[in-house]
Amino acid sequence: MSDRTLGFCALFFAGLMAWFGHDLQAPFSYEPVGPRAFPMLIAGIIALCGAWLVFKHWHERHHGEHIDWPRLLLMVVYIVGYALLFETLGFVIATALATVLIGRLFGGGWVRMIVGGVVMGVLFFLLFDRMLDVVLPLGPLEFLS
Amino acid sequence: MSQIFDHLSIGFDVAFSWMNLLVAALGAFLGTLVGVLPGLGPINGVAMLIPIAYALNLPPETALILLAAVYVGAEYGGRISAILINVPGEASAIMTTLDGYPLARKGLSNVALSLSGWSAFCGALVSTIGVIILAPLLASWALAFGPAEYFVLIVFAFCCLTSLLGNQPVKGTLSAMLGLAIATVGVDANSGVYRYTFDSVHLFDGIDFVVVVIALFAIAELLELLESAIRGESPEVPPNERKLFNLKELLFTKWTVLRSAVLGFFIGVLPGAGASVASAVAYSNEKRYQEGRDPNACFGQGDLRGVTAPEAASTASAVGSFVPMLTLGVPGSGTTAVMMGALTLYNITPGPVLFDTKPELVWGLVASLFIANVLLFLMNIPMVRVFSKVLSLPNWLLVPGILCISYIGVYAINAGTFDLTMAAFLGLIGYLLRKGGVPMAPMVLGVVLGDMMEQNLRRALSITNGELHILWDSPIALGLWIVSLAIVIVPPILRRRAKRRLSAAAAAALEGEE
Repeated sequence: MSDRTLGFCALFFAGLMAWFGHDLQAPFSYEPVGPRAFPMLIAGIIALCGAWLVFKHWHERHHGEHIDWPRLLLMVVYIVGYALLFETLGFVIATALATVLIGRLFGGGWVRMIVGGVVMGVLFFLLFDRMLDVVLPLGPLEFLS
Repeated sequence: MSQIFDHLSIGFDVAFSWMNLLVAALGAFLGTLVGVLPGLGPINGVAMLIPIAYALNLPPETALILLAAVYVGAEYGGRISAILINVPGEASAIMTTLDGYPLARKGLSNVALSLSGWSAFCGALVSTIGVIILAPLLASWALAFGPAEYFVLIVFAFCCLTSLLGNQPVKGTLSAMLGLAIATVGVDANSGVYRYTFDSVHLFDGIDFVVVVIALFAIAELLELLESAIRGESPEVPPNERKLFNLKELLFTKWTVLRSAVLGFFIGVLPGAGASVASAVAYSNEKRYQEGRDPNACFGQGDLRGVTAPEAASTASAVGSFVPMLTLGVPGSGTTAVMMGALTLYNITPGPVLFDTKPELVWGLVASLFIANVLLFLMNIPMVRVFSKVLSLPNWLLVPGILCISYIGVYAINAGTFDLTMAAFLGLIGYLLRKGGVPMAPMVLGVVLGDMMEQNLRRALSITNGELHILWDSPIALGLWIVSLAIVIVPPILRRRAKRRLSAAAAAALEGEE
């Protein structure tokens, strides 16, 4: 991301903060500074930083580091999908699935990944849920418990 | 004086319970594993372990001991990969590669490793003594702080962190403000007004600190691993002659170690300045000092003092950075900021009162930090080969494994998928911000200190009914403002002057390597 893009994002975020925070009023107030002042102060400073980044680099053409968008988006889909299916599919199945897909993205072979995924799901479940008492969802495998 | 021994005996009583010793050893081991991996440093290790330590219902002092041991362990691990394969395991080990790898190429890798371990141990020793002397003094001084002073102190911490982190203070400030913005989400404690919750029940209590830390330091890190597949280039390290440093080498480096340890401790005590700053300052300081008086100094080509200086300083500062966290409630580094967040999970607010209300926690932690360093020194010399094996762990196993452990931790807080999705979302944002050169540590500091900062500001202004002058009326507050301002203004000037000299030195170091 280039500095200018970053600056615009900061300005946009500051705008959102100000927009959603402009009507924060306490119904009864006992103190001189209410709930609105601090967020507005922060939004102001973020806007200043954003403006500085935008204007200082106005003429520069250089860009930030390169991002490999297709792989990144795929990885993000996997990470979000893993989060959403964590309870529905249960820990063991979701973990095995996520491990296989993410492992493929990092160059692991199919066979290796399937073995690795199943082992990781079962092993971590036994370690955390059974041994360490960190409760994890079983999902469709509920009947095993 | 007798008080010091009282404190020490409280501390070692806590640390020597078999449970805490075991936890310290385990933490040191896990920390080293995480530290060896390039890209994963102490802050990542601590971030991943916090939710798990909490979910396991460890008592607060045990949890803190675990995290502290991971912290120093990761510092140790960072130097293993720095010396053996010239890849710093984390930021504070960058300086160690300069002389550590050339030494390994000369066949002295075990000497460099054991001597750096010894320096780290000495750094921890010096720093522990410093903590024992300085912390109670600072804590009793901090009792005089009112809300206005606390507000300025937090401003001071942000100034330290952002100005020392890089050459773009704007991005550091932006990062800190984003952290503060995250902290405003949820119900406002004073007025009961819901801020930025968008009528979602999950946001009423705010965004959990653990979610933010996992997002910024585990998930964003994994996204970054997508492109940087730094694996150990086959280490062309010739076989070792000796397993350990000898007495001559020990005496040769003793003053370097002592000087760097004291320097590192004081840099660590500054809120915001962490181990990477300490190791860089100690290395360049020692290089300048030695090259002036020793014609045989060969910094950059395998001088033992070039390994001992940054290592003694980084460990000393790691221990020293607990001082501001424990005494003032304002963390001394990104990693201690994360730990302070961990304490708030236990409803413990670090600060001067902690020394009276929970002495076992404070002194137990100090004693454990020291014990962890002893354990690491003993453990690492025979086990270096084992740890360096971690470097051959493939990414296709490592990345899903880290993600899985992170999710287990986040899930354990509220047992719901909302937090997981939030972590994934914030992780992506964190990754994009990193790509834009925004440092992550100020953001964590912002999340941890946001509430405290706002409450103190509002409390101070309540006293004067809205008049701003209270913020700089007292001498302490005024002094802190002046120092904060100086910290923001002076380093860029010094940096500009040092830039030319440093780039020349770095070029020379690179040439020497090839």
